[in-house]
Amino acid sequence: MSRADRIVIAIIALVAVAAWPLVAAAGGGSDDVVIAGPAGTTVVPLHVDGTFMIEGLGGPVTVVVSDGRVRVSDSCCPDHVCMRSGAISAPGSLIACVPNGVVVRVGEGGDDGLDARVR
Amino acid sequence: MDSTLACARTSSASAAAVTPSRRVALIAALLASAVVLGLVESTLPSVALVPWLRIGLANLAVVIALVCFGVRAAGLVSLGRVVIVAVATGTLWSPVFAMSVGGAVASLVVMAALSATLRGITPVGVSAAGSAAHVLAQFVVASVLVDTPSLLVLAPPSVLAALALGAVIGLIAQAVVSRMPWR
Repeated sequence: MSRADRIVIAIIALVAVAAWPLVAAAGGGSDDVVIAGPAGTTVVPLHVDGTFMIEGLGGPVTVVVSDGRVRVSDSCCPDHVCMRSGAISAPGSLIACVPNGVVVRVGEGGDDGLDARVR
Repeated sequence: MDSTLACARTSSASAAAVTPSRRVALIAALLASAVVLGLVESTLPSVALVPWLRIGLANLAVVIALVCFGVRAAGLVSLGRVVIVAVATGTLWSPVFAMSVGGAVASLVVMAALSATLRGITPVGVSAAGSAAHVLAQFVVASVLVDTPSLLVLAPPSVLAALALGAVIGLIAQAVVSRMPWR
């Protein structure tokens, strides 16, 4: 590894670290689950257990809320990254199933952009 | 390290000694290697908590192609692999395909620009930067596809991980290139 390598790697790492707080989710006390899919957005409470079938681009996506956590239990997509993401509960955390165009996020229903994040 | 740098410098001169047909065969072999490396990687289990994180084994073939045969060969290996994998898995023109193309193009542009402009850079830095660009582009494409900018929350830690994994791939590429028998 040469000096030029180290400089390039250090610059990219610094930019990534500097950008982290800018894109990090605000840790609001919201306990809603926002399920956004091609057919629209559903907001459900995180503390009420339930199973939700979302129609994704490639087929149905099953979202399960239980014990204050939410996970994707079943999805017809190639890699099942969404299912392997496990259960989330922290505000701002999210699970994405890109092939199906479905995003499951813990947070307030109306807040979907980065505009309010810079503090 | 110096010997590998010397290899990177002399490889363009010695690559000229490689006959055109040999060059085509070697680039095709790299393309085939990229496809196989990608397949091997897809059989590896994904890590819990970060299932979207990949090692980027296929980039090994792209970096080698870039160092030994230049940007056009690297583009052929990278984009050729993306199309072949998409046709084989039936994901051509799907959201996954868009992410693959976005990542491959961003990675290629960054790697080509760095290796052309920065003197003294080795495959390690090139691969690390390309890997970071690949991941960032994939997150941007994905957040556009699912129309959720907050997906970018996951980008900074993933870029940091990609830097480390890319550097390791670069080290391997360096070791492979320095042992090329046809130099």
